[in-house]
Amino acid sequence: MTSAPCCVASKANPIAGVAGGLGVGLLLWRAQLQMFINQTVGSRKPGRIVGSVVGAAVIVLAWTWEAIITWVGVQASHRTSVSIDTVHLLSLAFLGYTGVLVFSSLVFSLNALLLNPDLDLLLAAPHPVESVLAGRMVVQVLRLLLLSLLFTGPALLALAVANSNPLIPLVFAALYLLYPVFVVVIISVLSLLLVRFIPVGRGREILTLFGVAIAIGINLLNFLINPALRDSGFSRRPGVPPALPDVPAASAPWLPSGWAGRSAAAILRGDWTVATEWALLLLAMSAAIFVVGTILSGRLYLAGWIQAVPPRRRQSTTRRLDAALPLLSPVLASIVIKDWRMRTRDLAQLVRFVMPVVFIFLIFGLRFSRLLDAVRGLGEGPAAAMLALLPAWVLLLSLSISLGLTAVSLEGKSIWVYAASPNTTLRFLQGKCWSVALPTAFLVAVVALVAEILIRPGWLWAATAILLAIAQAATITTLMVAIGAVFARFDWTDARRMMHPLGVFIGMGLFFIVTGASALLLGISLALAGATGFPTFTTWLAAITISVGGGVAAAALGLLIGNERLRSLELG
Amino acid sequence: MLSTRLLTKRYGSLTAVEELDLEVGGGELFGFLGPNGAGKTTTIKMLVGLLRPTSGSARVAGIDIRAEPEKAKARIGYVPDAATLYDKLSAREFLEFSGDLYHVERRLRDRRIDALLKLFDLHERANDFLSGYSRGMRQKVSLAAALLHDPQVLFLDEPTVGLDPQSARQMKDILQDLCKEGKTVFVSTHILEIAERMCTRLAIINRGRLVAMGSLQELRHMVGQDGQSLEQIFLELTGSREDDVSAVLRGLES
Repeated sequence: MTSAPCCVASKANPIAGVAGGLGVGLLLWRAQLQMFINQTVGSRKPGRIVGSVVGAAVIVLAWTWEAIITWVGVQASHRTSVSIDTVHLLSLAFLGYTGVLVFSSLVFSLNALLLNPDLDLLLAAPHPVESVLAGRMVVQVLRLLLLSLLFTGPALLALAVANSNPLIPLVFAALYLLYPVFVVVIISVLSLLLVRFIPVGRGREILTLFGVAIAIGINLLNFLINPALRDSGFSRRPGVPPALPDVPAASAPWLPSGWAGRSAAAILRGDWTVATEWALLLLAMSAAIFVVGTILSGRLYLAGWIQAVPPRRRQSTTRRLDAALPLLSPVLASIVIKDWRMRTRDLAQLVRFVMPVVFIFLIFGLRFSRLLDAVRGLGEGPAAAMLALLPAWVLLLSLSISLGLTAVSLEGKSIWVYAASPNTTLRFLQGKCWSVALPTAFLVAVVALVAEILIRPGWLWAATAILLAIAQAATITTLMVAIGAVFARFDWTDARRMMHPLGVFIGMGLFFIVTGASALLLGISLALAGATGFPTFTTWLAAITISVGGGVAAAALGLLIGNERLRSLELG
Repeated sequence: MLSTRLLTKRYGSLTAVEELDLEVGGGELFGFLGPNGAGKTTTIKMLVGLLRPTSGSARVAGIDIRAEPEKAKARIGYVPDAATLYDKLSAREFLEFSGDLYHVERRLRDRRIDALLKLFDLHERANDFLSGYSRGMRQKVSLAAALLHDPQVLFLDEPTVGLDPQSARQMKDILQDLCKEGKTVFVSTHILEIAERMCTRLAIINRGRLVAMGSLQELRHMVGQDGQSLEQIFLELTGSREDDVSAVLRGLES
């Protein structure tokens, strides 16, 4: 069981604990800023410094673009008379922002309570528990302020110049600082209650599940309310033009979004008195909620913050998978089995495995009947067989990237277990290739088979197309494993961070080159058959053979490069 | 059974281990001592083939670890300090994986796993994920994995850290039994009391350089005072800081 670490309870004056929270928050903020600098420009590692500089350049470019767009928008609004309810529009924006705040605050709070080890360190320091909890809220609010300014700063500056009103960025910055407070506080208090129902040691899984639910929810909402998608999606009401979703209550005077919206709208039209009035109301509410929430958090924590659900004991019977791969050597089979267990038992890994399949069904399923009719319209033949491979290729792209690029990094710091064993790095890479290629090829084959059965291009064409998909699954996953070896990251346990951005870029590029070349070869083979009178199946088979051969050569070369890279590393 | 010749490891301008010459015979329980950052772990990692020496050579079980790493590793068992294991595997599954990596025949592997799990008192929780294991239990799993393929030379880096007194005693007995069977055990430790009681011979390393090697008696002769404890010898050879410590503490008080 995880229980609250020993900490200082503020018996005398809880308000002092709240005030101390500002100090602790600023201290934490400074430490996080220092860590950020140490990991980027202060890292003394050329790669990271270049990455930071490139990242900064991209941000500056995006800022410039945003400022230009805002400037053009302002000029356009001066030339045309469009009546916009600014109060309602801005209130709606703040209400939408509340959704972002709820999500980010929940992740931040649960992370802080369940996963980050620094909470113990802070609670052991001579600060009241209220100060520590308030400090974390302050950090979260400051982080959100920075992000808001990062995203809207150039637009605010452009508006200030266009309206000759330097107060615009200042008032917006104040609103960005004050508005998140009530959400952050309420979510922090709720998190303390929620933690009780999370089984010990399952924090990461719960957060992953939560992330998945949010991702699916956002995509579904986007599909339902985004005019661009909605009209061609489930149904379209004839004669109704696309419009943004509206929540009439967003600008209500009793909702914080209405206060922030009124203050923001007032400063845009130059009325700083009204802007200040509404901002002060927001300040009073935020301060009151911060004080009450902090005291309540402290009480809740001291009342026994605990993950009260015990971990589930595993059954004593273990599945014997040793015999599942009789054709592989014990070393290769053991790597395949271990990786399968790790991927299927770690929810974060499992999500990377399952989500691509779910999205394939979402993407193709929602437009299924129209797509099917269009491809069936081509009649029997190689063109229909090739187009039927599209879902399989999309799945292959997704799985080969998510599984292949992380295959080597999946070892993490446990890589020493392999490095100390009497096996070569090439053997290790072979094992990794099998562990990724087997599930990927199986799923790709199933999707290709289902698509070919539904489209019915003729059994000979379908069979060869499925074989091509399987061969490509094997070669492309091998290629991705090799790229993952070149860009291996053994310090990360987070499935997303195991992938090096440059590796993802190169991997996607090579995927499109290999599959694009295949499609091109198949297209050429059909054109050649038409022009020369050769039997179409002969040229088709020749194209498939060349395509698979090229893929195998690329994969083998990649494997050699990946092996050289691993050999050059000291994996202790 | 184990020898190094001018073994050196440099990281840029930092020399972690410098021209180390060691000779350890079969059946010896060899203690490798040194203060923090002295180069103990780096030396062990070079000897088990995890780090490449900058210069010099090392032979383990008669095999050059640089020239034939796989052959040498098959004869080596290695227990790192604070071993990172696969959290989502159970102890039994991890040991199965280890056995396969070391080419142990499966029926023999399963028999040995059962025996080792019992020996280390892990059999009741053998099917639990390693993520739920304490540091001491992980250390035991790590040692079980290192013994699974019946190595000729066993390297242990701070093996008693995290173990309760009972387990530490048990580990000491196991290591001594292994030596009686003719196997070589190479242990790095901070706990001088354990080294004093367990080891047949000792080496002390400081700032990457070997400062002394021999039996406890030989080390006593080396510092010129019979009857001294290993702690006193260690402090003498690595530079006692007692005066410095007192001065700093007095500074903190004022």
